[in-house]
Amino acid sequence: MRVYVHVGPLCLLTLLLPPLSPAAPISPAEPINQAYSLALYMQKNTSTLLQTYLQYQGSPFSDPGFSAPELQLSSLPPAAVSFKTWHALDDEERLNRAQGAFLALTQHLQLVGDDQNDLNPGSPILLAQLGAARLRAQGLLGNMAAIMIALGLPIPPEEDTLGLVPFGASAFERKCRGYVVTREYGHWTDRAVRDLALLKAKYPA
Amino acid sequence: MDIYSCLKRPSRMVDNKRMRTTSNFQWLFSTFILLYLMNQVNSQKKGSLHDLKCITSDLQVWDCSWKASSEAGRDAAYEFCIENRSHSCYQLKKTNVKIPALPPGDHEITIHSPHDFESFTSKFILNEKNVSLIPDTPEILNLSADFSTSTLYLKWNDKGSVFPRHLNVIWEIKILRKQSMELVKLVTHNTTLNGKDTVHHWSWVSDMPLECAVHYVGIRCYIDSLHFFGRKVWSDWSPLKNIFWTPVSQLHVFPQDRVILVGSDMIFCCVSQEKVSTALVGGTNAPFIHLDGENVAIKIYNISASASSGTNIVFSTQSNVDGAVVFAGYPPDIPQKLNCETHDLKEIICTWDPGRSTSLVGERNTNYTLYESFSGKHVRFQRVEAPMNESYQLFFQMLPNQEIYNFTLNARNPLGRSESTILVNITERVSPHTPVSFKVKDINSTAVMLSWHLSGNFTKISLLCQIEINKTNSVQESRNVTIKGVENSNYLVAVGKLNPYTVYTFRIRCTTETFWKWSKWSNKKQHVTTEASPSKGPDTWREWSSDGKNLIIYWKPLPNNEANGKILSYNVSYSSDEETQSLSEIPDPQHKTEIRLEKNDYIISVVAKNSAGSSPPSKIASMEIPNDDLKIEQAVGRGKGIVLTWHYDPNMTCDYVIKWCNSSRSKPCLMDWRKVSSNSTETVIESDQFRPGVRYNFFLYGCKNQGYQLLRSIIGYIEELAPNVAPNFTVEDTSADSILVKWEDIPVEELRGFLRGYLFYFEKGERDTSKMRGLESSGRSDVKVKNITDISQKTLRIADLQGKTSYHLVLRAYTDGGMGPEKSMFVVTKENSVGLIIAILIPVAVAVIVGVVTSILCYRKREWIKETFYPDIPNPENCKALQFQKSVCEGSSGLKTLEMNPCTPNNVEVLETRSTFPKIEDTEIISPVAERPEDGCDAEPENHVVVSYCPPIIEEEIPNPAADEAGGTSQVIYIDVQSMYQPQAKPEEEQENDPVGGAGYKPQMHLHINSTVEDTAGEDDLDKTAGYRPQASVNTWNLVSPDSPRSTDSNSEVVSFGSPCSINSRQFLIPPKDEDSPKSNGGGWSFTNFFQNKPND
Repeated sequence: MRVYVHVGPLCLLTLLLPPLSPAAPISPAEPINQAYSLALYMQKNTSTLLQTYLQYQGSPFSDPGFSAPELQLSSLPPAAVSFKTWHALDDEERLNRAQGAFLALTQHLQLVGDDQNDLNPGSPILLAQLGAARLRAQGLLGNMAAIMIALGLPIPPEEDTLGLVPFGASAFERKCRGYVVTREYGHWTDRAVRDLALLKAKYPA
Repeated sequence: MDIYSCLKRPSRMVDNKRMRTTSNFQWLFSTFILLYLMNQVNSQKKGSLHDLKCITSDLQVWDCSWKASSEAGRDAAYEFCIENRSHSCYQLKKTNVKIPALPPGDHEITIHSPHDFESFTSKFILNEKNVSLIPDTPEILNLSADFSTSTLYLKWNDKGSVFPRHLNVIWEIKILRKQSMELVKLVTHNTTLNGKDTVHHWSWVSDMPLECAVHYVGIRCYIDSLHFFGRKVWSDWSPLKNIFWTPVSQLHVFPQDRVILVGSDMIFCCVSQEKVSTALVGGTNAPFIHLDGENVAIKIYNISASASSGTNIVFSTQSNVDGAVVFAGYPPDIPQKLNCETHDLKEIICTWDPGRSTSLVGERNTNYTLYESFSGKHVRFQRVEAPMNESYQLFFQMLPNQEIYNFTLNARNPLGRSESTILVNITERVSPHTPVSFKVKDINSTAVMLSWHLSGNFTKISLLCQIEINKTNSVQESRNVTIKGVENSNYLVAVGKLNPYTVYTFRIRCTTETFWKWSKWSNKKQHVTTEASPSKGPDTWREWSSDGKNLIIYWKPLPNNEANGKILSYNVSYSSDEETQSLSEIPDPQHKTEIRLEKNDYIISVVAKNSAGSSPPSKIASMEIPNDDLKIEQAVGRGKGIVLTWHYDPNMTCDYVIKWCNSSRSKPCLMDWRKVSSNSTETVIESDQFRPGVRYNFFLYGCKNQGYQLLRSIIGYIEELAPNVAPNFTVEDTSADSILVKWEDIPVEELRGFLRGYLFYFEKGERDTSKMRGLESSGRSDVKVKNITDISQKTLRIADLQGKTSYHLVLRAYTDGGMGPEKSMFVVTKENSVGLIIAILIPVAVAVIVGVVTSILCYRKREWIKETFYPDIPNPENCKALQFQKSVCEGSSGLKTLEMNPCTPNNVEVLETRSTFPKIEDTEIISPVAERPEDGCDAEPENHVVVSYCPPIIEEEIPNPAADEAGGTSQVIYIDVQSMYQPQAKPEEEQENDPVGGAGYKPQMHLHINSTVEDTAGEDDLDKTAGYRPQASVNTWNLVSPDSPRSTDSNSEVVSFGSPCSINSRQFLIPPKDEDSPKSNGGGWSFTNFFQNKPND
């Protein structure tokens, strides 16, 4: 098991490691810790990603204080949940939801990256940040899988959350979609930090 | 009536025609009016048939109709007859008939209507000109729309088959918008009918997206037949067809993702179920154009270029937001600087500058296609998304056997296209790759082989390559070579004319013979050519050792261009007629050897060897041919060298040799030599070793029959300097009027030039009065100079001098380089002895006589002298002393006592004991100066008040607070330093009154004591208590102490005061100079106390 370091590039290297083999039962504390560290690190960059994204989409997206909470994507589960419901979730359900959300996020971030490659091909910063966010989301997925293995929970199968629908989208829809994805990426990262903090407290080292 | 009617009817319809066609116009006109009026009367009265009208829709059938009278019943029957060649009639039950089109011209038509009780017959003249052509109403076959492009597509059938011939048709299409059917477009569309039914298509692009409002389309036509002379009329409008869009969601904005030209106007609209609140275009609100329902539109005028992600148009309602993106940019600029060339004749590289930015990126970016017209091939630009200033280039594979290429570069984007062309002969546009694998190999010591690799197919052309040859410390050389080109191969070229054993640096670049561009230079290769045997023997000389038995052979190392390698050793051999002997090999750094020779006549040969071989021997004869006729010459160099010339001598068969050495060196002395060919008569000897001011010997040898003869011997300087030292000289002899001086030679090393003479200066002068500065300056008349140019002269006698006088002698040498330093000496000439004796004896005799006379006189007058100079103790009443003193004080210059010499510091030690106080009071005249000078210096400050004393000066009226504070018991007058400078005039005036005021002998000081113990005696009392009185009125005394620094020490009991003054003098005994005061501290002596003390004695 590799240890996460709080340095970006090293994190990215370790993210790409395949999930652990389920043969070795280990304490859940270590994978929870690692996932928590990664989620914290991701949390620091989510607002930057959103701001960078909006900055490249033109007005009104790039206007200060832009917000369009009414925009949602049906293919992306919203992170917002009532506290009571959230708190009552059991470990499996909690991890399953997060797993599902980040799985959808990785696919959507890939889609947004492709969209922006067409709309903003001359903006390597934005493209790099989108790529980095996707890799981190994948890394968190791997970490969550490790937690589920450690807790003896079944790993949900990967699904194609995007389907065929989004490819005919207009440029405006693509911009909005990217906005929702980068926004929800932030919300889900915030929620993942809370989820993992709760698990961390539950399974101390 | 019938007849009338019959007669009149025809005129009714055709009256106009007839008027035009008949020749008898006047008759017709009158007939027309008459007939017309009668017809009107008949028709009104009887309801006859009238208003025959014929129309046609296809030019083949005329549809004629008429109006019957009101009496005619419904079941009326008509007979319609056309009176032409074939009389044809139609039995009809109605008032219209379709007849085939009649040929041009008038046709008489008779319509007979048989009635029950009467019959009407009307006649009409029918002409084509009276027939109207009204096409059938067209019908829209299909109306469709492409919403994405806001285009309407209209389809209809022209029904051309019904027309007998080709006809031009004008179609008019109207487009109406919104439910209120506002006309937005009315266009005409021309077609021709070709006898067949043809379906026509027409499309129209709407500025308003079709989704936002219903659009209606109608069409009508007009047949423009040239062969039909009747009236032509537009058809009726077709039934309207409409296009509308059924919204699928709450809010929709149109159009999406449109690419438009910068500066154009554009309408965006929004289909909404609820009220649209705002529309933002790039962040600014836009005014609405209201459409049906809640739909709205906005119009953007003169749109500016978009950012890469486009310009956003956002509509929002209370609960929803939708938007669209428009990409405003430019069509591609014409590609500029299109240039095609090849590196290897395999692939053509075309580069260009895209010109103005299109502001469009991603899939809207410009696509480039390079098309070659001769071959019909093309390549597309594979865009790698990169910054705007990326290099644009395309690779085109060359085709075999094609040299001329006509390239067209097409640029295309959604807004337009442009192109640029270039025609190239590619064999003239070759810019070869950089030569690689560049290698150098030896061929021999003067030639190398260069090889390099050049990728490319150059089989059909020749290459021109440039070789750059660099030799250290030499000019760079370039050589061009032409090589037959090959394909992807190594090229070889030999480079000759090089020097052996030399470091060369090569590099190469290539182009084609039809020059276009040089390739880049290859890497540099350094190479050392191989060694060759030395080309010449070393330059050799020989010297006999000082004992004449050994011959020392010298030779010079060979220069690199003759050594041709690294010289390893030298072989020296000597041969005479009988024998030849070789010495062992001498390794390189050694460049001389010594041979012991039995006899004089040998030939010595020296050979230099390197790894490649031996040099030819250089030979030199050992024999030296004597020369009796030899003298030493002098020479001075010019510039950096020295020029030697000699006369041509045909006897000298081999070369001349000039050798030189530093003359101060011991023999055999050899610095260097030079060989000059035998026909020369002059040479310039230059050497870095030459130094100015050093004497060198030059020897010119001539070579004759393998022996050398010394021809000339020269001493010379490269540059003369002034002598370094002065000649040592001594005075050999002096007399009363002459001096003989002798000097020595200056050593050659110090002379630094050829000695040209001496300068001798002499003048009167003592050793100390150093007047000799600038002796040599000619201006001084008292300095005599002798210039001795005879350098062999070593003595000089100077005559005509004065006796017993000190003379200053200076000698210096000079060369052409300047004057040497001088050496000086002081000599006193001997005196004339008789005069000296007289000069001594006379003063002695005079002195003795004067002494004797004086002694006698003194003895005789001793009483008088005593009275005069040593009187008895003076009686104060005589006041002689006072008078004497007064004169002193008035500054008689004859008496030194009143000079302002430093005052003796009059330190008065005041003991703080009560007992001392009366003592002072008793001895009123005690001089404070004389009292205890020694003690004053050593006095301890605790117990004493040491006061710099000023003679007793009292202003009785002035109390002295300083004294009070300074111990109280002090018996000393303290004078305020601040009051030192009182007006001077006053004392002088009062001084005159002295004799009046002065009564008897008065103490010199009056002590005004404000002590606590000795309480204040009244001011009047003071006079009484004081026994000793000053000799002058105390009132006149001045409170002065000009130079005593006042002590600033607050608790000091030592208070220093000003200088003492003469008793009745206004002058200070110590002059007002600070530095003088300390001097006076030590001594206790002064004129003041001298006089004052005297009475005590």
